[in-house]
Amino acid sequence: MADTPNTPLLTVDKLGVRFAVKRGGGWGKRAFLYAVDDVSFTVNRGETLAIVGESGSGKTTAALAVARLTAAYTGSVKLDGQELLGLEGEELRQARNKVQFIFQDPYSSLNPRQRAEDIVREPLVSLTDKSGAEQQQIIDRLFAEVGLRPEQKRLFPHQFSGGQRQRIGIARALATQPQLIICDEPVSALDVAVQAQILNLLRDLQSELGLTYLFISHDLGVVQHMCDSIAVMYMGRIVEHTDRLSLFNNPLHPYTKALLSAVPSVDKKRRAETKRILIPGDPPDPVNLPPGCRFANRCPAATDVCRQSEPPLTDHGGYHRVACHLVNDSKTAAI
Amino acid sequence: MSQQPPPIEEQIEQARSPLSEAWEMFRRNHAAVAALVVLGLIVIGAIIGPFLYPTDPFEMVWAPFSPPGAEGFLLGTDYLGRDLMAMIINGARVSLIIGLAAAVVSIFIGVTIGALAGFYRGILEEILMRITEFFQVLPTLLFSMVIVALFGASLPMITLAIGIVSWTAVARITRAEFLRIRELEYVMASRASGVQNMKLMFRVILPNALPPIIVQSALMVGSAILFEAGLSFLGLTDPNVVSWGQIIGSNRQYILDASYTVTIPGLAIFVTVLAISLVGDGLNDALNPKLRSR
Repeated sequence: MADTPNTPLLTVDKLGVRFAVKRGGGWGKRAFLYAVDDVSFTVNRGETLAIVGESGSGKTTAALAVARLTAAYTGSVKLDGQELLGLEGEELRQARNKVQFIFQDPYSSLNPRQRAEDIVREPLVSLTDKSGAEQQQIIDRLFAEVGLRPEQKRLFPHQFSGGQRQRIGIARALATQPQLIICDEPVSALDVAVQAQILNLLRDLQSELGLTYLFISHDLGVVQHMCDSIAVMYMGRIVEHTDRLSLFNNPLHPYTKALLSAVPSVDKKRRAETKRILIPGDPPDPVNLPPGCRFANRCPAATDVCRQSEPPLTDHGGYHRVACHLVNDSKTAAI
Repeated sequence: MSQQPPPIEEQIEQARSPLSEAWEMFRRNHAAVAALVVLGLIVIGAIIGPFLYPTDPFEMVWAPFSPPGAEGFLLGTDYLGRDLMAMIINGARVSLIIGLAAAVVSIFIGVTIGALAGFYRGILEEILMRITEFFQVLPTLLFSMVIVALFGASLPMITLAIGIVSWTAVARITRAEFLRIRELEYVMASRASGVQNMKLMFRVILPNALPPIIVQSALMVGSAILFEAGLSFLGLTDPNVVSWGQIIGSNRQYILDASYTVTIPGLAIFVTVLAISLVGDGLNDALNPKLRSR
């Protein structure tokens, strides 16, 4: 690929996704759940950005919004300079060529009534004008690329193992030669040995084809293996966003610190060094969010400022963006 | 990997469509297989019966109320001296055609409404489901009687009337399946692959929603036959064709003197509807993945 490195391929700006929820039943007031709120990030060509966060943090919803699989109500998503939000009809079809999705659960992401080759063929039929012979040629190549045997083309999904199914999902995502592939927890449904195979496959494909990944995960071990930069989400917002090394060596947000301390380690020395930071309590009600920082009610260092005003995501040098009032404060250094 | 996977040739051999797998399951339900054989015989009898037994069902062939077996009439004669055997054979055709056609009508209406409601959600779903509920609370027999009484008792109108009053169950089942399947990742994947809404609805979601719809349709053929019998019994039927319900209806005054004129067509309805129900039950087992590989 002739792409110059370090130029952004995907630029997401102030993205917001909300869902209407009914409260109080019957004719109760309509309220909104802001699943993704004011989220901005960029992904450089050929690199991988991981979005990490717990269940319900909005990471998957953000990814779906980028792929135009769920509707965003505000913000902008630019791929290679082209605005994706607001595209309709033929233009959207063209754009879908460039953004493909690998799903979390290989057991529900393949249509049980289609043969493996037809699953991979689907994007070729719907998004390209390739002839039948060309499609077949591409399918054969993709099967080889993802490590499936050509004889397996005629099988149905239930005849494959979880890892093989995910390989079919990857082949489907590669079919239209997309620029950006969004991986939504692609290995979390697989067992550990297979996880490594799939992750290595994704990395090999990236270096071979110059792919750019947006990688959604809750597993920091996987993220460490895969990406160049990391965005940590909590309750619909990015709380920290920086490159991999800064995040793992110098986490600034208390939530990130707690997350990192929860990563299990086989290294005895490291285990002795790191004290597990426990975060008490539950996340706040996502519909009636408290006024201040969303993490304030669980943060060990929270002050009155935290409970009153929401911290903006600010750059603390070297593109290390953190949303916390207490960064550079002696109190956070203590935890 | 404790278990060696079977050789690829064998796997491809096994790569049968889900349909043939369902047949495998269906075969294990002996009652359903027996019912399918009975149903097959009834259908064959309805098709070729009139050629093998060419007596006109409307012709007076003998004295009225000749009991079964007497005077060479296998099932006897009715109150007008018509051959009951000929009436049963010819009635089978009408009953089965009405049952099938009415089921087709109600599946067509029900699947369309259920699919639109379940796929598009929102205000369209509200409107379509309120319409469905409106049809659900109408007394079905009364409503179909009104339709037939207003628009005439021809076979197509009777079929339509039965179809119009019985699509609601199909609509609700279809909607429920669409609501479930539209959230599955493979539908999302098809959407990401650029598959258009119409294709998404009828090529991706509908085939996966079919099993419960098929079961419901099979049962509906049975209930449509019963429905037609009910309407004919009340006299709301085309007088120029003979159906099982109509035989019962026209002979009902003589139930004490010649009970066989009512019991024999009643038995025909009973056996047919029972066979259809058992086949439907077998289909339910065969198409329900949770019961697989027991």
